Amino acid sequence: MEKIVLETKGLTKRFGNVTPLDHVDMQVRKGEWVSIMGPSGSGKTTMLNLLSCLDSPTEGQYILDGVDTSTLSERERVVVRREKIGLVFQQFHLVPYLTALENVMLAQYYHSMVDRNDAAEVLERVGLSHRIGHLPSQLSGGEQQRVCIARALINQPAIILADEPTGNLDEANEEVILDFFKELHNEGRTIIMVTHNPELSEYSDRVVRLHHGRVA
Amino acid sequence: MAGDKHSEITKGMMFSLILFKSLKVRKNRVFITFFSIMTGASIITALSSIYFDISAKMSRELRAYGANLFIGPAASSGSRTVDARTIEEAVKMVPPDKLTGASPYVYGVARLDLGSAVMAGVDFAGLRRLSPYWQVEGKWVTVDFDEDSCMIGKTLAKNMELKVGDTVNVIGSETGFQKSLTVKGIAETGQAEDEQIFVNLSLAEKILGMEGKVNHAMLSIVTEGTDIDLLAKRMAGAFPGTDAKPIRKVSSSEGKILDKIKGLMAIIAVIILTVTTLCVMTTLITVVSERTREIGLMKAIGADDREIVLQFLSETLIIGVAGVAAGLAAGFVLAQVLGQAVFGSSISFRLIVLPMTLVPSVAASLLAAALPVRMAVRVVPAQVLKED
Repeated sequence: MEKIVLETKGLTKRFGNVTPLDHVDMQVRKGEWVSIMGPSGSGKTTMLNLLSCLDSPTEGQYILDGVDTSTLSERERVVVRREKIGLVFQQFHLVPYLTALENVMLAQYYHSMVDRNDAAEVLERVGLSHRIGHLPSQLSGGEQQRVCIARALINQPAIILADEPTGNLDEANEEVILDFFKELHNEGRTIIMVTHNPELSEYSDRVVRLHHGRVA
Repeated sequence: MAGDKHSEITKGMMFSLILFKSLKVRKNRVFITFFSIMTGASIITALSSIYFDISAKMSRELRAYGANLFIGPAASSGSRTVDARTIEEAVKMVPPDKLTGASPYVYGVARLDLGSAVMAGVDFAGLRRLSPYWQVEGKWVTVDFDEDSCMIGKTLAKNMELKVGDTVNVIGSETGFQKSLTVKGIAETGQAEDEQIFVNLSLAEKILGMEGKVNHAMLSIVTEGTDIDLLAKRMAGAFPGTDAKPIRKVSSSEGKILDKIKGLMAIIAVIILTVTTLCVMTTLITVVSERTREIGLMKAIGADDREIVLQFLSETLIIGVAGVAAGLAAGFVLAQVLGQAVFGSSISFRLIVLPMTLVPSVAASLLAAALPVRMAVRVVPAQVLKED
C-alpha cells in the first residue's frame, strides 16, 4: 500500500456566516488519481484553494507530503506551493509575453535553478518541442494547456492539482489532455482533479463528491 | 531531467529576461512613465542649472540698478573732498572681474549761457556702466580725454533751451575758466542728475579749480561671491580720512530679489516633482491593475512578495534611471534656452546638478511605485485566477 501523500482532517472554511467547506476528511495515497466532483456551490473551488495552499483553513488540518500546512504563514505556504504542488488551470494562465519555454522556466525560476534543457524536455514530453519559442497567443487552447501541464510538472511536485483541465477545450484536445493525464497516472503521479464532468471522473481511481461543503 | 551546465540559466539572467519582456510588451505605458520622469527631470535639471548660475547672472543683471558702494571723505576728516589718487587706489582693491563700473565725481556750480547749474565731473566710461538705465537722447561721451563735449540732464536742457548738437558756454564761478562745449547727449535719469551738466573729470577740475580732488566715487560691484561690507571696511581701513559704505538700498534689494527668485524656483521644482510622482503613480496603478492575473499566477506558482516587489521596483527603476538620463540631457538644453532668453548668456554645466536631479527624480519614481507595488503584493491569487 502506497503512503498517504495528502490528508485533510475536519477541513473547514468559513466566510462570516457562510461555510462553503464543512469538516471535510479526505486521504489521498501516492499515485492515486482522485476526482473531486459536485454541483455549483458545493465547495469545490474552496476545496481546491485550500489544497493548493492558495488559502488557509478556518479550522481543521491539511497535511501535504508530511507537512501540516494549516498552521503555516502566507510566506511558508508560498514555499509549499512552489515545492510540492503542480497547478493546472482551466484557463491555462500563461504569462502572455513569455514563450512556451520561458513559461515553463518561470516555474523553475521561482523553485530553484533554471535549466533550459529540462524545460525543453518537459515540453517535448507534452508534444510541443516544435512550439517552444511561441507565445501563448500563437498557440491553440490545447497547446496552451499542455504548456500549463509542462509548467506544473517541471519541479517534480508531490501532487498535481488540476482545476477543470479540459473545461476550455474542444473534444479532440480534451482527449489529448486526458491521455496525457492517464500517462502521468501510469507513471505513478498523484493527481487531484476538480471537475463537474462525469466522463472525466471515470478515468480516476476514485471520486470524492461534495455537497453543501461536506463529503457526500 | 538533469540538464547539463551549459543549459543552466542564472537567476539574474532569467530575472533580466522577465524584466525586459515585461517592459517591451507594455511600450505605451513604459513610454508614458518614461516621458513623465524625463519631463520632471529635465525641468529639475534646468532649474538647478539656472539656480546655481542665477546668483552670478542675476547679480550682474541687478548691477543695472546702479552703484552699490560709495567712497568719500570720512565725516571725521572735516573735508569735503578726497585725493583723486586715493580713490584710484581704493578702486584697485576690487577684484577686476567683480567690478562692473566705477566713476569719481567732482561737483561745483558753473555758469552757463542762461544761468547757473551744478556741474559734475565724471569718468564717462565708468558712469555709463554705473548707470545703464539712463535714457540718453543723442550719444554718450565715450572718449575720456574729450574736453569739447558734455552731457546734460533733461530738465536742465529744457530750461536752457539746449538740444543735442548745440554749443553751450561754461564758466567756472570761482575760477572764471571758460570753455565752449558741444551737447553730445541729453540724459533722462528720473533723479537729481536731470538738472546737472556732465563733463570729463579733468575738465571739471579745471573749471571748478579742484585739480587732483574728487568729492566721492561710486562703484558697482557684483555681489555674488563678494562681501561688500568687508570690502568697504578694508577700504576705509586702508585709506585713513576716507569712508566706504555699501549702498544698502541697492545691495539688500539684490539679496531679497535673489532669495525670492531662488525660493520661487524651489517651489516650482517641488510642484514639478509632485506632478511627476502623481503621473507616474497613476500609470503604474494602471499597469498593476492590468497585470493582476499575471501577478496572481506568479504567486500561485511560487513567487513570494519579495520577488513581486523586486520585479515592480526594478521595472520602475529602469524606466526612472532612463528617464532621468534623458531628462538631464534635455534639461541642460532647456537651461541654455532659458539662459539665452532671460540672461542673454549660456548656463554653465555643474556636476552638482547630477545628484540634484538624479536623487529626487529617482526617489519620486520609487515613491510613485510604492502604492502600486503595495497593490501588487496584495493581489490574492485565488481571487484573480478565478475571474473570467
